[in-house]
Amino acid sequence: MKRFSVYLMVLLAAGMMCAGPAIAAQELVLGVPSSLGFLEGKESLNAVNLAVAEINAAGGVKVAGKSLPFKVESIDIRDAAPGVPVPEALLGIEKLILEKKPTAMLVGPFRSEALMASLDLIAKHKVPLLGSIAMTPQTEAKIAKDPKYKYVFRTCLNARYFVGYLVGTMAFLHREFGFNKVYIMHQDVAWARITAKIVSGVLAQKLKMELLQIEAFPTGASDFSPALMKAKMKGADIILPIFDMPQSGTLVKQWKAMKVPAIMAGFISPAAGPAAWNTFDKKIGGMINCVFEIGNIPSQKYAPAAKFYQAYEKKYGKPIESGHGPAPAYASVYLLKEAIEKAGSADPDAIVKALEAADEVAAMGKVKFTPGHQVVYGNDPQKEASGCAFQWTDDGKRVIVFPPAIAEGKIKLPSWMKSKKK
Amino acid sequence: MLQGVLIYGFVNSVMLVLVAMGFNLTFGISGVANFAYGALYIMAGFTCWGLLNSLGLPYWLAAALSVAATALLAGLLFRFVLLRVRGLVISEVIATFGVGLAILELFRYFGFIGFEYTLPVWLDASFDVGETVVDAQRLLIVAVGALLTLFLWVFTRYTRTGRAFRGIAQDERTALTLGINADMVSAYAVAFGAGYAALAALVILPLGTIAVNEGYDVLVNALAVCIVGGLGSTVGVIVAGFLIGFAQVFTASYGETHWMMIVSLAALLIILLIKPSGLFGKQKELEERI
Repeated sequence: MKRFSVYLMVLLAAGMMCAGPAIAAQELVLGVPSSLGFLEGKESLNAVNLAVAEINAAGGVKVAGKSLPFKVESIDIRDAAPGVPVPEALLGIEKLILEKKPTAMLVGPFRSEALMASLDLIAKHKVPLLGSIAMTPQTEAKIAKDPKYKYVFRTCLNARYFVGYLVGTMAFLHREFGFNKVYIMHQDVAWARITAKIVSGVLAQKLKMELLQIEAFPTGASDFSPALMKAKMKGADIILPIFDMPQSGTLVKQWKAMKVPAIMAGFISPAAGPAAWNTFDKKIGGMINCVFEIGNIPSQKYAPAAKFYQAYEKKYGKPIESGHGPAPAYASVYLLKEAIEKAGSADPDAIVKALEAADEVAAMGKVKFTPGHQVVYGNDPQKEASGCAFQWTDDGKRVIVFPPAIAEGKIKLPSWMKSKKK
Repeated sequence: MLQGVLIYGFVNSVMLVLVAMGFNLTFGISGVANFAYGALYIMAGFTCWGLLNSLGLPYWLAAALSVAATALLAGLLFRFVLLRVRGLVISEVIATFGVGLAILELFRYFGFIGFEYTLPVWLDASFDVGETVVDAQRLLIVAVGALLTLFLWVFTRYTRTGRAFRGIAQDERTALTLGINADMVSAYAVAFGAGYAALAALVILPLGTIAVNEGYDVLVNALAVCIVGGLGSTVGVIVAGFLIGFAQVFTASYGETHWMMIVSLAALLIILLIKPSGLFGKQKELEERI
């Protein structure tokens, strides 16, 4: 009897071991390891689920004569939260890889340091990652240099392209209104410090604009009045903010309340989505803000962006609030589907090869990858992926004003400001 | 520029006085250094936000309920936690700090992070004061600060409970012989201090957003003002509030905003080196405490 029990247990164990791959083969698992408690993470996961639902409803992914559905497995790696060490985020990613055995991963870490640290882990497990949040260009250099990192791709813009949009907006204001004096205010964190430094260099050297001051604010600062007074006293034409902390929206409120005669144009994450209008007491009219990828804002001049934005709103009953993440996360699922179908298998090396050759129309524009596996961003979504700058109107609408290819209106100066162009 | 700095420096000073008043009141009467103070400040903000946005209550009712809830929680904190360790200073500090930490980190854990947590301004307008534009909310903060200071003065001199506060502050044992229930009055003092924190939160938070980390900043600022002024001294709180408040705005205006927080910490260190009891902290003249 005992011997029979042992045989039975062995048989059951063997059966269970065989059942794993058999079930796994019935679906393609997409892992989403990210900071899911944060707005960008939450909405990016929603965007992934939306794309997966659409693809599955249309029959799934065609691989070797079979149609397989996508299945999403997510894990909150909390890397964006203060005090969470990078190794904890890496543990989360590895847990997802080992337990859920994903075909590919999407969205990925928030913080660049977590993304950099995860490169070796991803190379070890050979699971393609299409990241859409962390922005350091350093990954591209590593990927281009060492083929073992080839599994990592980025579909959102990187810090270099972001600087390009900020500088482009400044140049536009310079041309249109003759504004020349810039006062930079930034959050005192690595990405914002570096961005401010690069932007200031480009403004001074290439555009010959006068840089009045670069001022850092500790994360959590909520009173910007002394700095706004300084900007006013120094005769600033443009205040260029670079912030992603929740309190930064109040900078615009205070700017408006103090009627500082300098246009506010830059990046304030909390003032990107439609809810910002009511959150900040309808006091952000006139501000020019960057959206990292179109699709996170509907563009009347690029249909796929509006289509995605509306589909998201229909499915979740509320619009996209974050200016960074959801559109490239959504596009990543479709890119992956195309890559798997072209490769004819879920083999990671074949998927990477197909992704490298991608040339697809996506929610944020035309998608092509650089040798460093970064989607190319430019100023026309018909040719390349695109971000944009929009202006809040005094009645709470967001009007895209830059780049010209997708501009829906012209920049209007606040009532207390005048153009300097004669 | 100077005019603007003076105006905003004045407003900032009143904000610091408002923030520190409740902490000082609690310590002055009950002797409890309430390190959960910053957490109670933030809790009042989130409670008001929740009542406004989730239950759709009118603002005045949401504000009143959040002040009452904050004061009640602080009273319960005294009754069920602090009463057991009464007189053991280190234990009181550890207990209040632990409770404060738990409140703040629970808010963080349950996802109270984001720009949507804001309170509406009471008055939506801006005024020209000379060449400086000042928003009405800041002027309101000054008015509320003056009113609350006046109320405290009247309350502690012309009401039965207020006089009991002073009695306990001057000599707890003598107060006991006169039939004043020291534990009850101390509980009231802790609740009263928390109520002041809640009122400060309701007028100051509309200038920014409700953020968990601000709870820690509020505690640091309240501590700095109280220690510089002299723990327990209302006059000291007002003087220190104005010293630190103006110093912060001057530093931010003529130096870097980044150094604003260092001002209060530097003031704290300097006063501890020069006069550890604070500017007005005459420990033997206990009537100075309130």
